[in-house]
Amino acid sequence: MKRKSLGILFGCLCMQISTAWAGVDLVTLPGRESVQLTIYNSADLTLVREVRRLTLRKGLNRLSFGWANTLIDPTSLDIRAIDRPDAVRLLDVSYPPRISTQAIWTVESEIEGEVPVEITFFTSGIRWRAFYVGTLSPDEKSMRLQGYVLVTNRSGEDYEDAQTRLVVGKIHLLDRIAELARRSAPYGRPMALPREEVAERRKVYKTARMLLERPEAVGRPKEILKEGISEYYLYTIEGTETIPDGWSKRLPSFNAVEVPVVGLYRYEEERFGEEAIRFLSFKNDKEHNLGETPLPEGSVKIFRQVDPDGHLSYQGEARSKYIPVGQKVEWRLGPEPEVTVRPRMMRMRTENFSFNKDRNIDGWEELQDWEVEVKNHRDAPARVEIIRNLKHGFWKLTPGKEIARGFYKEDMDTVKFVLDLSRQEHKRFRYILRYYEGERRLRR
Amino acid sequence: MRRALILCLSFAMGMVMPLSPPAEARIKLVALPQREATVVRLDNPSYTLVEEERILTLQKGTNQVDFSWKGVHIDPDSIRLKILDHPEEVKLISVAYPPDEAALLWEVYTPRPYNERVRISYLLSNLDRLVTYEGLVPMDERTMDLKSYIVLRNFSGEDFDNVTIRLDYGESLQKGIRNEETKRMLFFTRARLPLEKVFTWNDRVQPWDPEKAARNVGIPVYYTLSNTRERGLGEHALWGGKVRVYQEDGHGSTIFLGEDSIDLVPVGEKFRIYIGDSRDIVVTQRKMRDKRIVKERNSAGRPVLYDTDEVIEARIENFKDAPAALILIEHIPGEWEMKSCTHPYKLKDFQTLEFRIELKPKEKVTLTMHYQRRNLR
Repeated sequence: MKRKSLGILFGCLCMQISTAWAGVDLVTLPGRESVQLTIYNSADLTLVREVRRLTLRKGLNRLSFGWANTLIDPTSLDIRAIDRPDAVRLLDVSYPPRISTQAIWTVESEIEGEVPVEITFFTSGIRWRAFYVGTLSPDEKSMRLQGYVLVTNRSGEDYEDAQTRLVVGKIHLLDRIAELARRSAPYGRPMALPREEVAERRKVYKTARMLLERPEAVGRPKEILKEGISEYYLYTIEGTETIPDGWSKRLPSFNAVEVPVVGLYRYEEERFGEEAIRFLSFKNDKEHNLGETPLPEGSVKIFRQVDPDGHLSYQGEARSKYIPVGQKVEWRLGPEPEVTVRPRMMRMRTENFSFNKDRNIDGWEELQDWEVEVKNHRDAPARVEIIRNLKHGFWKLTPGKEIARGFYKEDMDTVKFVLDLSRQEHKRFRYILRYYEGERRLRR
Repeated sequence: MRRALILCLSFAMGMVMPLSPPAEARIKLVALPQREATVVRLDNPSYTLVEEERILTLQKGTNQVDFSWKGVHIDPDSIRLKILDHPEEVKLISVAYPPDEAALLWEVYTPRPYNERVRISYLLSNLDRLVTYEGLVPMDERTMDLKSYIVLRNFSGEDFDNVTIRLDYGESLQKGIRNEETKRMLFFTRARLPLEKVFTWNDRVQPWDPEKAARNVGIPVYYTLSNTRERGLGEHALWGGKVRVYQEDGHGSTIFLGEDSIDLVPVGEKFRIYIGDSRDIVVTQRKMRDKRIVKERNSAGRPVLYDTDEVIEARIENFKDAPAALILIEHIPGEWEMKSCTHPYKLKDFQTLEFRIELKPKEKVTLTMHYQRRNLR
């Protein structure tokens, strides 16, 4: 089992505890009985939990755990007797001098014989990410959405038959695990060392070779069980996975058919310039055949079915944020030249001047007549949102009848117009904007 | 094995007497009184005090005791010698520092021969301790089992075989620690400490419009605990250190929730542990109004004194299936008066308002503050 370097050596020492353990006879090497990986995606962090069966003697036992060429955080190492934690006590952990990849546990046991223990630690180098493939229907009113997860192991260690769990969430970390793994002393030194003394871990590349896969008992892709825990979501992959060092594995996470979508085009000069930006909008809820769990952040590739034979056209890609259950999703696909928005000021005039006692102008009102032309040249319906940032918060806007129901005040100096266009439709709307300037801001 | 701290005893007349056998084989000096009891005191986070007792075989008259510390970082000014058995008779006469050496020479006078017990104490660098914590919370996140560990780091240049390690509270530890060794051991455990989980949004820290942010805006999540007897602790101050928190997953295993570092927590004080960010609670804040009300003008008619009339709206969405306690921090600078507010708040200081909003599962709440800032110039 110990193909790589993560190993536990086990020795027994029934003498007094002494710091000189050169004479400790480290003998047996029990293999892993099972291993569980809990892989995070917001940080390069994996919690490894493995079960091994140790043969302990009554009294003091000394166990040596080594991890050369792997990326383990030594400060996270822990050992626990599974069945009798009260009878097997960990007295201390020692990180011996000048060996940066070894820990020695001193364990006091009341049991003589085999004891299953659980060893836990953090490693870096194993990552997972989510990605999505969306396929729009020809009319762009619905989408088939497939979610995947990709697990990559570059930890320096092979993990065979590991129960694999993925954590969706943003944890707070103080240090990067990969850096903790490279420290010459596990908790650092009381005094900072010159840089050259910090040994750079040798990168060990091994020829990746696939370990023998067990025949899959079920003739179908594995399922992923999803559950919420604290602020995180835990994805547990059915059965176990073997992920040798250097390899990646892609697993389907979900497949939602007929997700109703809205083709949303947003126009906001200050953010996007004079182009309409295409978004694909839907909600992560039951009405959209989703909503069982949040959607983790990941990359999105969108295709569109173009003919009955199922031929596809690539529409673009996006980065998806994390989407909680019930939240609206907007995937930004990029500029869409076939949807255009042209706001034009058609008339400008000023009125209602006011004067101070020296007869200087101290206030006025400015009236602007706007006309906005919106064109959808595409063969699919479009919802267009036009955001107008006003120059300050002293204004009154009178929308034309044609847009009155699609007008929203976003905040004190931002307004939004929303209109739906069917395929190839052109629309036009007007509004009158009155700005209050100088003293006119105060006298209203 | 390097051993640098050496104590050597000789008589004034130049005779060298073999005393107790050398503790370490490699030490070449003949007379090395063995360490009898060594106490390493780690109550001061910046300095480590070592007190070691040795028995000096003193001849009648003046004796020279040589103490050297090559390769070990000792503050020479801190070295003290204390006569323990016959302090009335045995006297320290002088202390001399030889040139260019990490050493000193004590002259000790005794009226009669004694096997005299002395205590040598000094401040030693690069031997220190850290404290780390490990918390385990159950599924309901209402309590925490807390374990505290002591980590000894010895990079002092000196090996300590079997020493008593004293911290400023708790039992002392009997341990050996070699040079360049790090050792971690359990310090204390406490079960089922009550905790409160709170989400925190601060108008000066979090962006107001998370939808426009390229990445998800997380709402920081904290566990709040108290170092008091009512809440399971309160026996002594908790030293600052790193806290790693795990949670039971309901399948016999745990997940790692996150880590934070805490500063020293005196008895009676609260402390909080930042676990991670929640993205299932979303706060979107907007200013809906900001108007001026002129109060005074100068002779040219220009406004010189005015109030503002402002409206802030915060939309809070809980996408979780569970209730959540959200602490919302808002700031209104200067002189101001609240005209109306949809939720009660506590003033943390003249410009900081703290709202505590209990969100039901899946609830959406809008908080509106209408206030006027006064006497702006």
